[in-house]
Amino acid sequence: MIAGRQAPARARAAEPGARHDLHARGTVGVVARREITVKLHDRAFLGSTVFMVVVVVLAVAIPAFIQGQTPRLTVAVRGSAAQQVVGAATTLGADAQKSSSTSVFGVGRLPGAAITTLPVESTAEAERLVRDGTVSAAVIGDDVRTLQVIAAGAVPDALGSLVEAASAQVQVSAAAADAGLTSAQLRAMLNPTPPTTVLLEGTARGPVPPELLVAVFAFLFYLSVLTFGVSIAQSVVEEKQSRVVELLVAAVPVRWLLAGKVIGNTALAVGQIVLLLGVGILGAAVTGRGDAVGQVLAGSGWFLVFFLLGFVLLACLWAVAGSLVSRIEELQATTIVMQVLVMLPFFAALLATAPGIVQTTLSYVPLTAPLLMPERVILGDVAAWEPVVSATLVLVLATLSVALGARLYESSVLHTSSRLTLRQAWRREGA
Amino acid sequence: MREGLTLDAVTRRFGDRLALDEVSFEVRPGRVTGFVGANGAGKTTTMRIVMGVLAADSGEVRLDDRPIDRAARRRFGYMPEERGLYPRMRVTDQLVYLGRLHGLDNATARARADALLDALGLAERRTDVLGTLSLGNQQRVQVAAALLHDPVLLVLDEPFSGLDPLAVDLMAGQLRERADAGVPVLFSSHQLELVETLCDDVVIIKAGTVAAAGEALALRRARAGRRMRVVVTPARRDTVPGDPDGSTRPPLLEVELTRLPGVAAVGVDDGAFTVDLAEGADAQGVLATALRYGAVEEFGAIVPTLSEIFREVVR
Repeated sequence: MIAGRQAPARARAAEPGARHDLHARGTVGVVARREITVKLHDRAFLGSTVFMVVVVVLAVAIPAFIQGQTPRLTVAVRGSAAQQVVGAATTLGADAQKSSSTSVFGVGRLPGAAITTLPVESTAEAERLVRDGTVSAAVIGDDVRTLQVIAAGAVPDALGSLVEAASAQVQVSAAAADAGLTSAQLRAMLNPTPPTTVLLEGTARGPVPPELLVAVFAFLFYLSVLTFGVSIAQSVVEEKQSRVVELLVAAVPVRWLLAGKVIGNTALAVGQIVLLLGVGILGAAVTGRGDAVGQVLAGSGWFLVFFLLGFVLLACLWAVAGSLVSRIEELQATTIVMQVLVMLPFFAALLATAPGIVQTTLSYVPLTAPLLMPERVILGDVAAWEPVVSATLVLVLATLSVALGARLYESSVLHTSSRLTLRQAWRREGA
Repeated sequence: MREGLTLDAVTRRFGDRLALDEVSFEVRPGRVTGFVGANGAGKTTTMRIVMGVLAADSGEVRLDDRPIDRAARRRFGYMPEERGLYPRMRVTDQLVYLGRLHGLDNATARARADALLDALGLAERRTDVLGTLSLGNQQRVQVAAALLHDPVLLVLDEPFSGLDPLAVDLMAGQLRERADAGVPVLFSSHQLELVETLCDDVVIIKAGTVAAAGEALALRRARAGRRMRVVVTPARRDTVPGDPDGSTRPPLLEVELTRLPGVAAVGVDDGAFTVDLAEGADAQGVLATALRYGAVEEFGAIVPTLSEIFREVVR
């Protein structure tokens, strides 16, 4: 409403429904809203967003599903000791299903499993059942010290661990009973309290490997800048190709059009990233890995800041790449440079994972900073001021790219007949 | 104070080529001004400079005697030579968007778009995607885009090209209506008969300079009196050997007319003579010569059509 006061009085009086004054914010908003509306009605965009959400959901759900999957095992049993051990193993497997921290002697996590016993009369019968696959394995023996586990190829991992633990438990219990220990003493023996760990140096590592987190962020940035960058360039060329641009520039300053396009697409890109991160975090929380959520949240704060700045920096250049050509078919020729500019930070982030002079330097270079600085934050080897300085550098370059983009866009957007070189665009002032 | 649009010595170069050389003319409020000229004469460049799409190297464009700024330009209605709207947007959405860029609020833009589409016979296509419309109908939408924000000046580059006769009438009606409401209307066209019937004023541009400008009728009258039409019924028989029925007589009159001082050219068409007089020549000599040949049934100045003036000026 800043420019409102300067509206011609005549216009005001004659047209109650019209605001003919120049209102940058309003107009840029109208342009941005059109970009968003068009995108939200674009099936390809909706499809790819849904696809990415599905990928994130699967990435979260599949490991949880696999881990949560309890193997169902049928075990043939012959002999009293075998019966006792398999019975104990069944209890341990069932307990492990309920809580993830079942252990014997405080060591290791026991896998969950649902074990069904099938009593058999002879070893020969047990072997036959193992061979024809009716049972996963057979446990045979009357003495716990000469217990035999028979399997076809390999003993299923879960069963092996459970039977070993159960056998140990049974033997220890028997020895303890012989020694005349109380049941409290026996419990203390079976479930000792593990020591507490204190680290003097080094950072607390979350359950998600930081390299994986960095790779995920890098991929999101890469994907987002590439898809939205191409879409900005296409939206510019479409206006040139359909000639509607002359009508637009007669009504609105060219830089407002550019601003609207960049803002609209940035809003959509950030929205898409927040959606994907949100789905991922929600998924992690639902599947009971809340400890990973905090880690991802801590890392994604700076990631979002750098994403925003890096996106704007590249978005303006994409718009220029679009304005240099006249037809969609020619777009490939000018956007190839942009694709390199997008891939560079992506591969830099993936390759420069080791802390060192290269990583530190690249984390200040504005093109690679959007990925490498958050990477260093996640790896935890930065001072508090470092991301701030790096973000400021990106911001400065982004501002320059907006100014540069506006000038090139302004002078090339009306040139609708052929391809322009950068130099021509720079010189064609108003022509 | 000069009202309406004024171009004052507008000059524009493209590299070495002088596209516009001190172009000056006026588009008065309430009048439809036709802008004619051969291809490449500078019509589109002039209109683009008026719309601020191109900058002039020198000279000035004023509206109501004030230099034009962004805010003023935003209220102009424009139909560019190179037509185009968003092919994949719905007709109404498109118009509302353009209306909003011209400063209308959403509700007003929507109401105006609906009203205009009604008036242009596109009411049933308003939710269609533009690309599915015929070219003629797309052109009508383009007309609506130019008129939507109730412009204070209309600049239309070839608004009639590609329109069917029915749409031409609709378009002409719209231009007249806007002009009658006091809006200066400038449009270019190659259809000179249309310009002649529709325009109050005419500007003829040739190779970047204004060759003629002013009221259409006055322009035609000023050029009248230099071309005379004479119809003579022969009174006496010339006895020419070998030509008893006198079929050679009209050529004789033609020869005599040609010999008159101040006569530039003589044409004969089915007994009617067309005499072009040089600047300042006296038409009475033509009449006197004709009278000697017989009864003069018609004698008068031919008021040239706009096409004739155009051809003469542009040649």
